Amino acid sequence: MRVDVVLRYIGVVMLFFAFFMLLSAGISYVSGMDSAFYPLLLSSLLTALLGAFPLIFVGKCDQITNKEGFCIVVGAWLVACVVSMFPYLIWGGEFSLVNAWFESVSGLTTTGSTILIDVEALPRGLLFWRMASTWIGGMGVVMFALVVLPSIGRSRMMLSNVELSTMAKDNYRYRSQIVVQILLVVYIGLTAVSTVLLKLAGMNWFDALCHAMSACATSGFSTKNASVAYFNSPAIDTILILTMIIAGIHFGLIYATVTGKRNNIFRSEVTRWYLGMFLAGGVLIAISLYAADIYPTLATSFRHAMFQFASLVSTTGFATADSNTWTPFATILLIFGSLVCACAGSTAGGIKVNRMVLAGKMMSARLKLQQHPNAVIRIRLDGVIQDNEVLHSVMIYIVAYLMFLLLGTIAGALFGVDLTTSFTGSVASMGNVGPGFGEVGSMDNWSAMPAAFKVSNTLLMLLGRLEIFGLIQIFFMKWWK
Amino acid sequence: MTGMRKRVTVGFLSIVCLLFFSGMVSFLELSHLSRDTGEILKANKRNIELAKEMLDAAHEQNIALIHRSVFGDRSYDSLCRASMERLENTLLVAQNEALEKSFLDSLAFATTELRLLTDNYLAFGSRDSVSVAAGQTLDSLGRVWYDDQYERVYGQLTSAIKSYMTSTQSSLAPRAEQMKKNAYRAVTPVLISLVVMIAIVLMLFYFMSIYCVAPIERMNKGLGNYLTFRAPFTVKGDLKDEVLELKEKIDLLIKQAKTPKA
Repeated sequence: MRVDVVLRYIGVVMLFFAFFMLLSAGISYVSGMDSAFYPLLLSSLLTALLGAFPLIFVGKCDQITNKEGFCIVVGAWLVACVVSMFPYLIWGGEFSLVNAWFESVSGLTTTGSTILIDVEALPRGLLFWRMASTWIGGMGVVMFALVVLPSIGRSRMMLSNVELSTMAKDNYRYRSQIVVQILLVVYIGLTAVSTVLLKLAGMNWFDALCHAMSACATSGFSTKNASVAYFNSPAIDTILILTMIIAGIHFGLIYATVTGKRNNIFRSEVTRWYLGMFLAGGVLIAISLYAADIYPTLATSFRHAMFQFASLVSTTGFATADSNTWTPFATILLIFGSLVCACAGSTAGGIKVNRMVLAGKMMSARLKLQQHPNAVIRIRLDGVIQDNEVLHSVMIYIVAYLMFLLLGTIAGALFGVDLTTSFTGSVASMGNVGPGFGEVGSMDNWSAMPAAFKVSNTLLMLLGRLEIFGLIQIFFMKWWK
Repeated sequence: MTGMRKRVTVGFLSIVCLLFFSGMVSFLELSHLSRDTGEILKANKRNIELAKEMLDAAHEQNIALIHRSVFGDRSYDSLCRASMERLENTLLVAQNEALEKSFLDSLAFATTELRLLTDNYLAFGSRDSVSVAAGQTLDSLGRVWYDDQYERVYGQLTSAIKSYMTSTQSSLAPRAEQMKKNAYRAVTPVLISLVVMIAIVLMLFYFMSIYCVAPIERMNKGLGNYLTFRAPFTVKGDLKDEVLELKEKIDLLIKQAKTPKA
């Protein structure tokens, strides 16, 4: 493996980050040169230097191997998490080393958990940087660089193949180069439309842009301490529900739907399951809340239930209510939503509806096979027969996912965190959801959690974002040969 | 950019820039810190000086008024007025220099009250305010005025001066907190720059070893094989820039050496 080539591409991604830091410094300058200006400017310079250095030595290289591709993607994610900390660390405030690392990883992996007690105390430049980092992370740190930077050339195909999960590639019927462009068009388009709608609904431009970026990245970072509850507006809630749900659908399908292609969201079995789950879950939670007299009217129950369920299913994590006070039935549905999450090919994390649908079909096939041992049963998804290899990998992924959840919960218990917080915190981190229950509920933050628990959860966030095996295989030394 | 020399130069220049940059940042931040510390100490010292001056003036006036009211010595009138003016002038200076003017409100009020009381006494004596009862002399009336009226106002004034004196001390806590933040900001960029510099130095070491040292070693081995065993001169791996030129020249040299002389 050519380490120099890997370093070159990671450097390219770092330059991209440096640009966004500079942009945030610009926001800071426009906002009256607030206290985040120098930290952002310094971070931008340092990141640019770090990124440009390998480019000076290593020449352009079009052909990269699969191993190098993996190393570039995972390496870029890890280094991005480190450089993202720079503005937080230099600014100070509530950001200790562990807190800055947590905020950085939470942002880039679009988890949206925060250690900040007072988000509103952050200067605008730093708030924008939080949103920018999460927006880049939503698309994928390497994917973004692939589209924007022309110097990458033919390596684009290899890197996009590595960063896009196997399941996500299913609905793309284009060349890799087109796929990354489609991703970007949908992503930017959705963010722009959402920003305008939120502005029309009563937010100021800055809040509208920040919340739109956060919703499209399915992150859940907000500019307010009370998250979306601060605005207390049914119109804003509705726009954000739509944005979050759309951001949880396969981007290729959204593009196909908008451009009038045949292979659209209405024909997708996975999307039907996803939307069905959202509607059924939302309605059941609303009825449960109304029956338990938590909200005075059915309309209010629906509003909060739909928002909160959409927020968790899409792995966003915005909050309009404290779901810690909800009924156990609502809680278990929300946890289920946090586990299953949205569709592959979106910005969402979690196990994903695609895998759950396949797992359900495999179970059904197994039952049929027990009744008819000689039967040949094919498992189809969207009319396509699935290979045994795909089915195997789905089951392995689900098992590995649950295993890491268990490990995360055990780690939490080991560090003195109560079981509810430990388990739901791990679910929220692994699925890149954000809020859990207990001490890390929708209206709480992670500031009071032990440092070790914060660090262990950042590992879960990275595992969830890189779909477990991407991160794990980099640590196998045999693989490096 | 082509050429190993240029690359190495740029690499080292990057490190120099980073060193300079981190040095400048720490210098600027530490200068801020030093200036802030100096300002706090200066403000503290000045505050003590002004408070001492005010206490001295108040004490001087107090002595003068004792002579005037208890012993009826009118020669102390001028001293009494002078010390009052000294007190007021010092208060004015303190008001002009104070960053937090609210600390001086009670002091200004007590000074005004004292000024009215003493002016009134010096102008009309104690007869206007205290009726002369049977058997009472003017001296005893003056003592009564001093005890009943002046002493209370004087007490208020001195306690206001003392609280002004401690005001800077109490405002030290938030300023010290600010200084702590400034110190953090002075150190963190330097630490981060150091981390970045370590990363860059490691990368430079790696690039130098794979683009300069390793090819030269391979070339050395190839030349050694040629000289010892007359094996063909070959160098494995990709060579770039000056190293490639060197290899080509060695090839040419070997070719020329092999060519029989005419």
